[in-house]
Amino acid sequence: MAETVSSDFEGDATSKPAFSLKNRLIGIARVSPTMAAGILIILAFGVMALFAEFLMPHDPVSAYHDRILQPPSAEHWFGTDGNGMDVFSRVIYGAKFGFGIAIPAVLLSIIIGVPVGLIAGYRGGLLDEVLMRFFDGLRVFPSIILALAVVAATGQSLLNVVLVLGFLDSPVFARVVRSEVLALRSSVFVESAKAAGNPTWRILFVHLLPNAVQGAMAQTAVRAAWAVRISATLAFLGVGIQAPTPEWGAMIRQGAEFMVTGQWWVALYPGIALILLVFGLNLFGDGLQDLTDPRRRAAK
Amino acid sequence: MSLLEVENLRTHFISRDIDNQIRVAQALNDVSFTLEAGKVLGFVGETGAGKSLTAQSICGLLRPPARIVGGSVFFDGQDLREMPEDDLNAIRGDQIAMVVQNPRTSLDPLTRIGDQLARIHQTHSGGPISTSRERALEMMEAVGIPDPTNRAKSWPHELSGGMAQRVLIAMALMNNPKLLIADEPTTGLDVTVQAQILDLLKGLTERFGMAMIVITHDLGIVAHYSDEIAVMFAGTIVEAGPVVDVFNNPQHPYTQSLIASTPEKLQIGGSAKLGGQPPDLYNLPSGCPLRTRCSFAQEICATPPPRRQINDTHYSVCHFSGKSPANGSAS
Amino acid sequence: MTSPVLNVSNLVKRFPTGRSGVFVNAVNGVDLSIAPGETLGMVGESGSGKSTIGRAVLRLTEPTEGKITFDSRDITAIPERQMRPLRRDMQMVFQDPWSALNPRMRIGDLIAEPMKLHLDLSKSERENKTIDLANRVHLRPEFLRRHSADLSGGQLQRVCIARAIATNPKLIVLDEPTSSLDLSVRAEILDLLTEIREQTSAAMLFISHDLGTVKLISDRIVVLYLGSVVESARTEELFRNPAHPYSQSLLSAHLPADPNAKLSRHILKGEVPSPINLPSGCTFRTRCPVAKDFCEREVPKPHQIGTSGHEANCLRIPDGGNRITPSEVA
Repeated sequence: MAETVSSDFEGDATSKPAFSLKNRLIGIARVSPTMAAGILIILAFGVMALFAEFLMPHDPVSAYHDRILQPPSAEHWFGTDGNGMDVFSRVIYGAKFGFGIAIPAVLLSIIIGVPVGLIAGYRGGLLDEVLMRFFDGLRVFPSIILALAVVAATGQSLLNVVLVLGFLDSPVFARVVRSEVLALRSSVFVESAKAAGNPTWRILFVHLLPNAVQGAMAQTAVRAAWAVRISATLAFLGVGIQAPTPEWGAMIRQGAEFMVTGQWWVALYPGIALILLVFGLNLFGDGLQDLTDPRRRAAK
Repeated sequence: MSLLEVENLRTHFISRDIDNQIRVAQALNDVSFTLEAGKVLGFVGETGAGKSLTAQSICGLLRPPARIVGGSVFFDGQDLREMPEDDLNAIRGDQIAMVVQNPRTSLDPLTRIGDQLARIHQTHSGGPISTSRERALEMMEAVGIPDPTNRAKSWPHELSGGMAQRVLIAMALMNNPKLLIADEPTTGLDVTVQAQILDLLKGLTERFGMAMIVITHDLGIVAHYSDEIAVMFAGTIVEAGPVVDVFNNPQHPYTQSLIASTPEKLQIGGSAKLGGQPPDLYNLPSGCPLRTRCSFAQEICATPPPRRQINDTHYSVCHFSGKSPANGSAS
Repeated sequence: MTSPVLNVSNLVKRFPTGRSGVFVNAVNGVDLSIAPGETLGMVGESGSGKSTIGRAVLRLTEPTEGKITFDSRDITAIPERQMRPLRRDMQMVFQDPWSALNPRMRIGDLIAEPMKLHLDLSKSERENKTIDLANRVHLRPEFLRRHSADLSGGQLQRVCIARAIATNPKLIVLDEPTSSLDLSVRAEILDLLTEIREQTSAAMLFISHDLGTVKLISDRIVVLYLGSVVESARTEELFRNPAHPYSQSLLSAHLPADPNAKLSRHILKGEVPSPINLPSGCTFRTRCPVAKDFCEREVPKPHQIGTSGHEANCLRIPDGGNRITPSEVA
């Protein structure tokens, strides 16, 4: 995203010691242990999502009609649900949905939000006013209700959930980029670009964008956490993803009815998985923001 | 005994980067000098040479990752490095005062300047507040602020750059310091105002008998307002001595190039220039730190250069000092 | 005489302050003219409007009044779209090289950018020309692949200069190109600029607060005070025979780096007045040691001194009272 125009001068001539992932992780852990914990949690769920097929002891959607609502055991670590499906396998498979919704939703937010913030910040004036007021309007409306309404109206599908979440969250990126551009547009290198004869599109996308995008990138993890949480909430409310799809929100919804009758494991384990992933993404996101925002870093 | 005796002062920046590697910047390497009461010492050198860092190290104003790793600082017979922080606080702003480069950011924006002046006097001298107020007006008068009684009521944002610098100097003088450290006192001021401030500082050292360290990159200021000069490069003093001796007979190639680079000496296309990159403090060359840029450098320069006395008070840290390599002895 | 590359007449720039009817009078009716290949030095202290003039000339800020003619073409009010192709012939070098270069672009791409924008070259031609330019500004070719954070201030300013000469412009505006650099680096950059001036036929507008620097490189100098030209002369003439009291005090305020040099200085009282409320009549009168009553009422007009094109705007020139007597300082 940062390199929109190819460079005539590829390769890096500066001599730096070889990059070592271990040293980088130790370095991060020293500066921000919480960020390192976040990274570990996200990595763990990432492995679950990528290698679910190898990690699941059972098919997440095959129902064992003779083993309905069994408590955790050696065979079914997290027990079985009301259909007789293995909760452990379903929790693992659910990570695919977590990332599968969050990543495209955040990408869509960036694709919509970043250019809007860029243009609004650089042009200013009426255009800025109109775009930003519209986006403010999106923000003040409770997002869960808006998402509910839109998904209900456009039809129950995974794609619609991703589109709605992506669109609803784009103002966050527009705001961040806009404020960066406001600070950058009077900087000397932008004036220098103008003096050299750059057309507006080049000033926007070659000069401003790569310098303004850092703050937006720091937001991605926190926004992914938001997307995971809201998509699970939608599924819990029965919108978007339906049971018996092994998605955590849908699983919690299904398990909620068994809570009163004492079968706690159906809802508890997907709940823990959801909390952990959101927590991990937020820890990582906070760390990212600390690293990129010197004011926040100084406060520590 | 001199007022200020600094010996082998070494300050390094020690940090770990994001890849958990320890990085050490050797910012000050064995800085030694003495300053007598009533004298003015000018520090010159390029950005990163360690001029300001020397002042901060003396005053104990370093913040991590900067750390003094060796040497001693004696002020008026007291060892500043071994002193508890509270005692050091009692000396700073009282016996040692500092005037910094950005006068506006150094003033408390929410306090009238008269009150700021009185406050620093109260902190160190105590006594009735009326005495402090009187002293504030006296000092404002002394630094040439017109109509002190009214000016004392103004806010920092109402002052021009030159006026703010005067206020800062008045503040430094409130407790009759024995040593005034002026770090780039006129950078950012117009030349016509610069002259006013410099004349003021020079006059004050003569009137109050205080010693002064002037840190600047402007050789003209040192030439006319200092008694002694110390030329810094890569965290060491490469040449020092009385101003007239050093300017008339510069011995270190770096000093020679600095003097040759001043606008009135500069000849377009002339040869006596030392360009190149400032030294990498994380990775200083062995021996003489200048040798990678010095056109007279020879093999011997990879070994630490000796300190050669040119006369009793003038010395230069170069293998060829006193042998005048500049005059073409290509041995 | 050939027609000038740049001609500016009665340039005025007022910035709004946020309060209605109150303006910062940054530039107040400035006339300038630069001949092809000529280097004009523009000297003034903070608030003299020198940077604003430099930026207005390139239409980086919109002039409030006046007329700017570049290469016999009136560019005062043409839209940016028509301005863009003209920028090939007018480039700028900024004061602070650390902030004047896009930190995310490679040095080579930064140098090549003006060629990419204005010249129709193949990629390999452009690469060769970039290496060629790097050589011309004495920058080692391996720097081309680095980013600005890896270079020192002097090297970055060389990059800015390479950028400015890449399209062989007719005019280069240099806004304090050496004042943020260390002394020895400053000397190298001045050397380089002199070299460039000899190689190319570009005219230069060299803006600085330091007379000593301007003297080394300029053919002619204009002295600014509070947004107006107070004196304009050929370089040697100005240093030999400064006519305006302000030029005289500016010259005398300079400290030569020689402790043996006797200083004969006249130190001005006070500081530059606010450009929001300009003094009436001659704007310098509030600090002028030789001001008379009539300086408060009359606006000074340029007085010709001799035949070399030396002009000074002082009301005391006719009565000979424009000379200030410097006070001797040790």
